[in-house]
Amino acid sequence: MSKRKRAESKSSIGGLKEDENKLLDLIRSKEGMGATTFEMKLETKIVPALITRSIASLKKNHLIKEVPNINNKGIKHFLAVEFAPCKELTGGDWYNDGTLNIEKIEDLKGICVAILDSAKDRVVTFEILSTYFEKTKDKLTREQVKQILKNLVLDNVIMEVTSNGLGEFSSTRIGQVCYKLTGRKSDNGKARAGAFASVPCGACPHIALCSPDGVISPTTCDYFQKWLDF
Amino acid sequence: MDTSEFGIVYAVHIITAQFGSVVSKVCECLLRKGSLSSRDISRFSESEINHNKVKDILYLLIQHNCVQAFSVEPRAGSESKAIVQYFVLFNNIIHRVRYNKFSRVVNEELGSQCGAVLDGLLTNGRLTLGQLIERDRDSENTIGSEVIRDSLRKLVAARFVERIPSPEPVIGKKEQEPGQKKKGTRAAQIIKEPETLEERIIEAATPVDAIRFPLIFEQGSSSSLADNDGNISEGKRKQHDVESSDSRNEVIWRPNFEEFIRHLRHKACVEIVKERRDEGCAIVLRAMLEVGRSQEKKVKTAKSVPMSVGSIYEEVIKTEAGRTMLQERVEACLDQLSATSSYLPAFVIEMDDSYIVDFTSIISVAQKDEMEAVVLRRYGKEAFRMFRYLSQEGHFVETDKIADAALTEKKDTPQILLKMWKDGYLHMQKLAVTGVYVPFLLWKVNKLIVSRQMLDEMYHACLNLSLRLTHEIDSEKELTLLPLNKLEGALKERLNKIKAKRLLLSSTSFKLDDAIMLFHDF
Repeated sequence: MSKRKRAESKSSIGGLKEDENKLLDLIRSKEGMGATTFEMKLETKIVPALITRSIASLKKNHLIKEVPNINNKGIKHFLAVEFAPCKELTGGDWYNDGTLNIEKIEDLKGICVAILDSAKDRVVTFEILSTYFEKTKDKLTREQVKQILKNLVLDNVIMEVTSNGLGEFSSTRIGQVCYKLTGRKSDNGKARAGAFASVPCGACPHIALCSPDGVISPTTCDYFQKWLDF
Repeated sequence: MDTSEFGIVYAVHIITAQFGSVVSKVCECLLRKGSLSSRDISRFSESEINHNKVKDILYLLIQHNCVQAFSVEPRAGSESKAIVQYFVLFNNIIHRVRYNKFSRVVNEELGSQCGAVLDGLLTNGRLTLGQLIERDRDSENTIGSEVIRDSLRKLVAARFVERIPSPEPVIGKKEQEPGQKKKGTRAAQIIKEPETLEERIIEAATPVDAIRFPLIFEQGSSSSLADNDGNISEGKRKQHDVESSDSRNEVIWRPNFEEFIRHLRHKACVEIVKERRDEGCAIVLRAMLEVGRSQEKKVKTAKSVPMSVGSIYEEVIKTEAGRTMLQERVEACLDQLSATSSYLPAFVIEMDDSYIVDFTSIISVAQKDEMEAVVLRRYGKEAFRMFRYLSQEGHFVETDKIADAALTEKKDTPQILLKMWKDGYLHMQKLAVTGVYVPFLLWKVNKLIVSRQMLDEMYHACLNLSLRLTHEIDSEKELTLLPLNKLEGALKERLNKIKAKRLLLSSTSFKLDDAIMLFHDF
């Protein structure tokens, strides 16, 4: 009795089928981003049922892993085991198990503000702040420090200024990026309230539904009632 | 800028409160339909207002500077007569709630006697010198005809009061019909014509400066010498129009709102700089505004004329606060004013050893603060960061990138952005990419759209504050009628409460109007 011939569709690597091979190549080519089943379907033209079976087999053989997408938990990305998931999937340095570490960010922001506050009228260079965080237990990279500072600029708490070497910049090089607190000059640095934002209508989510004789009107408005309740 | 829906509702509310509902109907008709003839108004007005009544109402609104009549030049060769049309002046209606501000400006700048004369003009719309004197004679605190004449001269010299415009200017028919191809030479196309109908009417009605603000007043008579000055050939036609408006040949005066708005604009610019920079910079800017003032042709001037350090310093030392400043300090302030950062743009542009005030940049800082304050209050801190980030970027940015920059939870970011988009504070575009299942969402802050949206909401808020004030006063009407000495205990407390409410509502309305001017008039 002659030995039965091995099927031609099987490949030499770990005894994988041709479809599985094709999928593994695609997944490897996508590196840290991995591939979704939708992309597999589109790029390999393999029928969905076979894709599901091949994925299960690749997973069983420990050749790929499944990583959820931070933006959409329903979409699964398949990565080759040798690659770590990229920033787009995990959310980046500030995410822990798919959740933004707000507490840590706020703490770091607080430290930056304290450093700038202690500098009084002087500006603080980016290098000083970056060196400070390199020495702490968090050991932030320059990029991370930049992100924290940019966030504080967006909060309108600090401002980024470029040194011209004069006055408050006398101890810095011309063109060096520096930071200082925005602090309003009058009113002891209190944030600007805004004339419209100070009126109940400025904060009202129903302003589009409000009219003089409507269901929501200034004479029956609860927000006005609260505002005028002395 | 087109008038927003709540702008119209607010203007109608002001007219209803001051002149009654019939007048407001005519006004609303003009606000909604544009310029109309008196017959058309009587036809379009919802209720039965006959033609004669419409005419009376129009004369009343003209007297109070809320309406301007005009006629369109008939086509060459055409035998048809030009029909008088009426155009409502939306800005002048809104100015009616600003009379206290205008009055305060004159009281501070020219004293209380000029203030009294201006009040007479604000209350009555337009008056001759004779009428002003008559009005003073009938009042309790008479100041005398000489003082009135002198005060009026001062007001005209300071351009706070002007001669009334031509009662019925004829404007040329626009050559260019919509949809028609432009003809003519390139040079002819470069010459800019005033764009809106309102601008064309106002330009046609306004007399030349020498007639609008005559320098010499004739003794003993109410007419001005400038009226008889034959040398002013340019303004002859307009002069004739003006004179024909008054049968007794007396000059009729009215408040010049343009000058008041320019004054308030300058004041606001100085305040913005003082708050964001320091007192020294504010003094220097005030001096710069004074130097460039005479060269400003229109209220919404984007940039001042270039001025040297010497001329700025000369103006700085004229003020008490500026006298302590050395030229070196002024130069340091100018450096500060021309510096840019992530926080502030340059307020002053340095060019070939001279300096230019960038009005647009100064005003935009205050506008931005107003917008951001609303975003922070309405949508929260995360939205505030996203809005600021998108404002900085100035182009479409995808959701993920916004979340990264603002350091906000990625799954919450689309919801926050969508909320702002729904209310018109953001612009969104969907981008479908082949191979990606979910389309990308791109976001952008369109400052012009946000400004319009906010302006409409601010008019709405002003209307609400006014309606609430009326409601509060009406609800405690009986209490306010009681004699003060009879009020004790709980009743007195209620009266104090109503006073406090009235004060809060009025002062908030006053500040909100400042913000409206920031977006609409400056």
